[in-house]
Amino acid sequence: MRILTVAFAYVFAIYSYIQPSGYRAAYPTRSDRLAFAHSFATNQGLRLLYGRPHDVSTVTGYAAWRVGGVLALAAALYGLLGAVRLTRGEEDSGRFELLLAGTVARRTLTFAALAAIATGTAILWVAELAGLIVAGLPLGGSAYLALATTSVVPVCAAIAAFAAQLAPTRRVALEFAGSTIAVLFLLRVLADTVDSLGWLRWATPLGWAEQLRPFAHPQPLVLLLPGAATALLVALGSRIADRRDIGTGVLPARDTAPPRPRLLHSATGLAVRGQQGVLIAWSGSVAVFAFILGTVAKSISPADISGSVHNEIEKLGSGSITNPTGYLAFVFLFLVFAVSVFACTQIGAARQEELDQRLETLLALPVGRGRWLAGRIALAVLAAAGLSLIAGPLAWAGASAGGAHISLARMIGAGANALPTAILFTGIAALAYAVAPRASSAITYTLLTVSFLWQLVGSLIAAPRWVLDLTPFAHVALVPTQPFRALAAGIMITIGVVSALAATRILKRRDLVGP
Amino acid sequence: MNPAIRTSGLGKRYGETVALDGLDLEIRPGEVYGYLGPNGAGKTTTIRLLLGLHRPSAGRAELFGVDAWGDPVRAHRNVAYVAGEPFLWPSLTAGETLELLSRLRASDDERSSASDIAYRERLVQRFELDVRKKVRALSKGNRQKVQLIAALATRAELLLLDEPTSGLDPLMEMVFRECVNEAKDRGQTVFLSSHILSEVEALCDRVGILRDGRLIEQGTLAELRHLSAQTVEVTFAGQAPAPPPLPGITVVATAPNTLRFQVPGELTPLIDALQGHHVLTLRSREPSLEEIFLHHYDGAHDRAGR
Ligand SMILES: Nc1ncnc2c1ncn2[C@@H]1O[C@H](COP(=O)(O)OP(=O)(O)OP(=O)(O)O)[C@@H](O)[C@H]1O
Ligand SMILES: [Mg+2]
Repeated sequence: MRILTVAFAYVFAIYSYIQPSGYRAAYPTRSDRLAFAHSFATNQGLRLLYGRPHDVSTVTGYAAWRVGGVLALAAALYGLLGAVRLTRGEEDSGRFELLLAGTVARRTLTFAALAAIATGTAILWVAELAGLIVAGLPLGGSAYLALATTSVVPVCAAIAAFAAQLAPTRRVALEFAGSTIAVLFLLRVLADTVDSLGWLRWATPLGWAEQLRPFAHPQPLVLLLPGAATALLVALGSRIADRRDIGTGVLPARDTAPPRPRLLHSATGLAVRGQQGVLIAWSGSVAVFAFILGTVAKSISPADISGSVHNEIEKLGSGSITNPTGYLAFVFLFLVFAVSVFACTQIGAARQEELDQRLETLLALPVGRGRWLAGRIALAVLAAAGLSLIAGPLAWAGASAGGAHISLARMIGAGANALPTAILFTGIAALAYAVAPRASSAITYTLLTVSFLWQLVGSLIAAPRWVLDLTPFAHVALVPTQPFRALAAGIMITIGVVSALAATRILKRRDLVGP
Repeated sequence: MNPAIRTSGLGKRYGETVALDGLDLEIRPGEVYGYLGPNGAGKTTTIRLLLGLHRPSAGRAELFGVDAWGDPVRAHRNVAYVAGEPFLWPSLTAGETLELLSRLRASDDERSSASDIAYRERLVQRFELDVRKKVRALSKGNRQKVQLIAALATRAELLLLDEPTSGLDPLMEMVFRECVNEAKDRGQTVFLSSHILSEVEALCDRVGILRDGRLIEQGTLAELRHLSAQTVEVTFAGQAPAPPPLPGITVVATAPNTLRFQVPGELTPLIDALQGHHVLTLRSREPSLEEIFLHHYDGAHDRAGR
């Protein structure tokens, strides 16, 4: 929990600092900003990611839009992960992989858990506030914006805690809570992109965060909504917990099952079985999001964009995002990131086997360490390849449905373009795991996040080329706008493979570690 | 023929802690070896080194002549392991776990035969395990049974058991003992780390006692008894005399006319000292296993307290 909070606080502070600063640098004059407000902010595709803007012709308005929108999502994720970890009542430290297995302790959301969430919320609030103030935004408005963003945490934590009471296992709890929050996000997306559905914003905590309208026309009374929702969910959750204690399980676990010996012939088969649910969930999410991103690809006409603004947008690294191809090239950079994150969670799941000591059970059998890790790496890469290949065609289908014409082959290429980076990070994650099993998750995810933000921020503030070149993401071609960069991809794959090989060797040379 | 287990100068440090120090063991095929020691003595550490899960800081360990750290996969072909705590996959059922563990053991050319499967089924019945239940829904004792059945059902030549009966009820403990005896009859070697003295007494041919990472005593039960002090109770006619000072022998007065001596080794010095006294009865008793172990374990506490 502590590591989780620190990681999120870090992201909150950095992100809320760089967005306003980057904006100021990219659009120095009032006229630039007005032009930007007219074109960029009405882009449906961006609305989808960042939410509905209220006023982007000022630094504060822009900050409210860009910072609030994305960080509200991060806040939702934090609430979800934090609450499930706390209600599960286990002292496991900072494991992102808690997504991956285990049982929910049957106990109510205690005072301690509530206090921990409250503290975490406060810390994120301070982090975001600090970032905004350092970026030069006024104190009062910044405090209010940070409040709007972090108001999402308690609600989502309460949703997750509630799900933890219903669900028999931690994984099911995460699935429940995760899909609920995904639906809440989709509601916000619909509200922000379809004009007639604007009222849906009132149905989701992510929408409430927008309705608070930081810097535009503040409506602080909206804060009552997250407050009331949280109280209601916590009360309901405790009621259910009490009832469960006297033996009326709400959704009893399926504790018995007919034997299904499928896949149980090898360690890797076992891993596939353990990861099935996760693989399906990721594939489904990638498919849905790729499709949605495709449908909104045709939302901007080039006529809206003046020449100078166009140039500034190109600085963001996306080329022109005013045509569907450019827009998809831009958002697929996020896919590259997501697929890499996914591959790293697979290595994280392997690491969890060791920390939970199940790996001892395996390795006491005639199972080699190197082969075991190689199998897990192969699984990570194959699954990442699967995700990459799903995304392209689905985005193409979405774009076609939305009336944009892009070649299917190019979109398949755009998806496949995510794979070299994923292989690189899989190798790095495996190496970190082999060398430092306990610290490796923190190392891997920090490296990944920093690399990605480096690219986004660096290109926005027009950092020197050699600075930008430090991150692998700078070498990812924005397919389909740009041609695939075979050389860069080859280098990334080579580094990934070499790291992975080194990992299998290093793992053979150390003690297994415990929890 | 190679010994089932051979360690020479085997040692392990974890940072400051010396968990195991200069262990020399040699266990013949077919032997049942009891491995005893207080908490933290290094029993689990020994087994982890034997399995090549941790890397020795000194010395080496061999299973049937195969280096445990250098070639674990080959070493494990002949070994089945039961960990002190069952670490299994929560979402598999007990039956699936048994299947998994048996398939991972068999190399491609030796699939488990019908008779192996039948033997496993019998074990499942004897241990009264519900194989349809998911592991996460099993109690600790029942998860322990899954591990035990998986190990006992193999034809592995060596069973490494780390406190295998922790969490089992007395009935299941009896079943376990029967199974170990059957394994012994089939010629399997058993290395049994345990805290339960009666279990060790009932099953083991030879016993080693570990304390603070060192093997401080080893031998058959008869030998260990011989090494330890026997208790001699002497009743005198009338008031007992003042206890004579004898090197190595401790004395307590249990009644006005009775003295109890703890005598290590021979009785001759005591007999000599009693000469000229009016002795009514003299009863001597071999030490119980409990006394042997408590004697050794106590030493550990003394040291820890210092
Ligand atoms: N992975 C480890 N890291 C650090 N110290 C360890 C580790 N494993 C064991 N130790 C230490 O080594 C010593 C021996 O531990 P070990 O687990 O082998 O004892 P044991 O005889 O199995 O005890 P018990 O009867 O409680 O199971 C202990 O002092 C323990 O703290
Ligand atoms: Mg132990």
